[in-house]
Amino acid sequence: MFKDLADFAVKYALKLGANYSEARLEETSSNSFIMKNGIAEASGFGKINGLGMRIIKNKTLGFTSTNYLDKEKIKKLIQTTINTAEKASHLREEINLSEDKSLKDKYEVKQKINLNDVGPDEKIKLLFDAEKELINTKINIPSRYLSLSDSITTEYLINSDGTNVLATVPRASFFYLLTVEHNNKTSQRIWQNGQTGGFEFVKKWNIPSIVVNEVKALQKNLKFGIKPPKQALDVIAAPQVVGIMVHESGGHPYEADRIIGREGAQAGESFITKEMLGTRIGNEAVNVVDDPLLENSYGFYKYDNEGVKARRKYLIKEGIINEFLHNRETAYYMGLKSNGSSRAVNYDRESIVRMSNTFMLPGKYSEEELIEDVKLGIYMKNFMEWNIDDKRINQKYVGAESYLIKNGEIKEPVIKPVIEITTPQLYLAVDAVANNTEYHAGNCGKGEPMQPIPVWFGGPSIRLRKIRLGN
Amino acid sequence: MEPEEISSYVLNKLLKAGADDVIVSVSKQDNSLIKYSNNLINTTKTWENIDLGIFMALKKKIVLTNIKEFSLSATDDVVNKLLKFVKSASPNMEYGGIAKGPFSYKNVEDGYDKKIVLLGDNSIDYVEKAINKALENGAKKTAGVFENSVEDVFLLTSNNVEARDKGTSSYFSIRAFNSKDASGQKTGSSRMIDLLDVEKLAEEAAIISRQAINPEHGKFGKYDVVFEPLPFANLIDNLGNAMSAFSVEAGLSCLKGMIGKQVANKEITIIDDGLLKNGFNSSKFDAEGAPSQRNIMVNKGIFKTYLHNTSTAKRFNTKTTANAGLLSPEPTNLIVEKGNFSKQELFEQVKNGLYITNIWYTRFQNYNTGDFSTIPRDGIFVIKNGKIGQPIKGIRVSENMLNLLKNTVSLGNKPERVVGWEVEKPVVTPAVLVKGVNITRPAD
Repeated sequence: MFKDLADFAVKYALKLGANYSEARLEETSSNSFIMKNGIAEASGFGKINGLGMRIIKNKTLGFTSTNYLDKEKIKKLIQTTINTAEKASHLREEINLSEDKSLKDKYEVKQKINLNDVGPDEKIKLLFDAEKELINTKINIPSRYLSLSDSITTEYLINSDGTNVLATVPRASFFYLLTVEHNNKTSQRIWQNGQTGGFEFVKKWNIPSIVVNEVKALQKNLKFGIKPPKQALDVIAAPQVVGIMVHESGGHPYEADRIIGREGAQAGESFITKEMLGTRIGNEAVNVVDDPLLENSYGFYKYDNEGVKARRKYLIKEGIINEFLHNRETAYYMGLKSNGSSRAVNYDRESIVRMSNTFMLPGKYSEEELIEDVKLGIYMKNFMEWNIDDKRINQKYVGAESYLIKNGEIKEPVIKPVIEITTPQLYLAVDAVANNTEYHAGNCGKGEPMQPIPVWFGGPSIRLRKIRLGN
Repeated sequence: MEPEEISSYVLNKLLKAGADDVIVSVSKQDNSLIKYSNNLINTTKTWENIDLGIFMALKKKIVLTNIKEFSLSATDDVVNKLLKFVKSASPNMEYGGIAKGPFSYKNVEDGYDKKIVLLGDNSIDYVEKAINKALENGAKKTAGVFENSVEDVFLLTSNNVEARDKGTSSYFSIRAFNSKDASGQKTGSSRMIDLLDVEKLAEEAAIISRQAINPEHGKFGKYDVVFEPLPFANLIDNLGNAMSAFSVEAGLSCLKGMIGKQVANKEITIIDDGLLKNGFNSSKFDAEGAPSQRNIMVNKGIFKTYLHNTSTAKRFNTKTTANAGLLSPEPTNLIVEKGNFSKQELFEQVKNGLYITNIWYTRFQNYNTGDFSTIPRDGIFVIKNGKIGQPIKGIRVSENMLNLLKNTVSLGNKPERVVGWEVEKPVVTPAVLVKGVNITRPAD
């Protein structure tokens, strides 16, 4: 790793008059394998070796990056960045960073089975095993798309405040899209597993059983599914559904850069304002946190991309809006200290406020107890289509594997129940939270250019009272 | 090392080791971006990168790599890893080869602009002018980006292709706000900076934001909807993904089995043109080096062909459409042919409907059937007896892609070039009128 180059770059920017400079060096190696309809479509690998810098001069922020790791090239880019920042100074937003302790540390997510010690043949075999099991079900699955990816990233961060962090994070993910057909009707599911750590987790996922359970449920739904009832009813949303709900409407609106308008152009703003801190958004049973420190989580980090120590953030505490996600810039703006939420997907992107692992905290009930108390309702295990508006109010989730609940018992499958609801309606309808927490992996989209970043989202099952399903 | 030198080094090494097909591409990009919000510049960004992409087929085993590291020693490592990797890869028995050269190429007209190459920090002036224009036209605040890029791609293949293309591009987006609930958005894209009128875009976004003040909650039901080019391009971009032969095989397409069938209203003709003059994604050649071409995808509502590379074309018993994507063929510039109506004439055809100026978060319930929903944002207006009226908010379009295309009855006569956050491949389209669009919203 070209650490000396990063150290030099930070000093050189200061020499040219910068008030703050920060360099982030990234070295990533990755592998990926794609199987489509039983054919090993392709194998691939990649390598990244690049440097990204943030430079502040006279309260104007400039970002630059390159993978030409050459001193002269970097000197030129720093000079250009400073010149551009100077030219922009009459029209710039004043950028200040909150005070933070400088620190020096290094960490590595341990791997029991190193991802690089497992050959391509063994990785592809997992996909072949899954394909074999899918065929053995005798279910009509006209399209089967499976992919397995892994990467190991080492990042070296140094800034002019004296912070210096070296982090190595291995990460693996499995993605699938399955189409099941029955009587000329189809149903689909896309989902993903992802963790940080070694190949031991990929083995533990049991990929064949994941995909077999999916197609069995999809077929059952197509074969025996009934239309959902029209009257208001209760909904038990299972962990996958709770996870996406919390990510979209309990995480995104709490990103401070949205709240102050920084992402206004594309990712959007937020219905939440600074003045809403301390006000009620949901029932007392609702507690939502964002926590980068969950071991082996897909969104794991110990220090964020500004070198701020990560910690758990309580976004919603007992139904009250409690805290926003901050980087050093938004924290200064709101008179606070950063809570370590600054992330960049690669060396060539500016770090911005992001979620890590966002989930609802468990309650005291079992899932069975939640179901027992429902006279007429829907159990929504997972979903396919979902979306939410850019202020994070109007959201929709269409159930994939779903069942009718009658007098406290799970009955026949239900076809595509639709929850179309506003954020306050959703969190105020939660009357009980179970203790069966699960975490799920995704790539959260934000930023321009887009920065899809690995996260977990999750929670336990929850009960929503008196919901009217959409069309 | 120069791209030609390193490409030929890699190609020869891999061929010597027994590779059947090899494609090496070296792409250099210089980009600058200004991000602004609340009428102020947040960040100025510049980045320079070089990518080395290698595709290798050996006994039908396909291995791809993309390396953001450029040196002879790194290249040696890559070649060694490729050869090690391919040993334990599995064959793709459906693989059908790569394009056979040599080819002659046509230049992309208006594809390279020295003014963009030399733009430097003058880009700030464009942003300042646009912000001022939006404020003059009644916006309270603005947010967006202005991105300029210069790209140089060199391609060398084992099938007698040696090609080079240089291009420039300029992309501008602006969202103008009048209040938290009243906004308007426009984007513009061009290969030539003088053909990008950022002030006009700013003015139009500001006017929408002004008209959108004090929206009421919309109501569910079936509406005739006039879609601006920006939202219709979002839908066509999704349709473009479904046109790829790879998507058809992977279960990501509502166009499976639809060749020769009516998939859209007879008023609709869609062309994919890899050589479109000033086209944002125009290039001399595709990822295999096949010369870019113009393909009629939908002719008067009839679906004509999937997008192909050489390998998918072989599987579908046809010829490549020059849309490689090494694994998945992809659209270049999709053009919805313009119709005869002014926007006013589109409105006049609507008794009780909606005018939607932007959408986002388009997600599919089932790619195979084309069932999806998407959320209108920025200015949404009621149309009553041909006139734009009350702004509304809080609605969703819950529809089926093929239904929506079949109900697209009238097309405007002023196409716009759209690229955006959710329009990844450029689309050229006019405003359109779609009958009976299903609108939903959360229950009270």
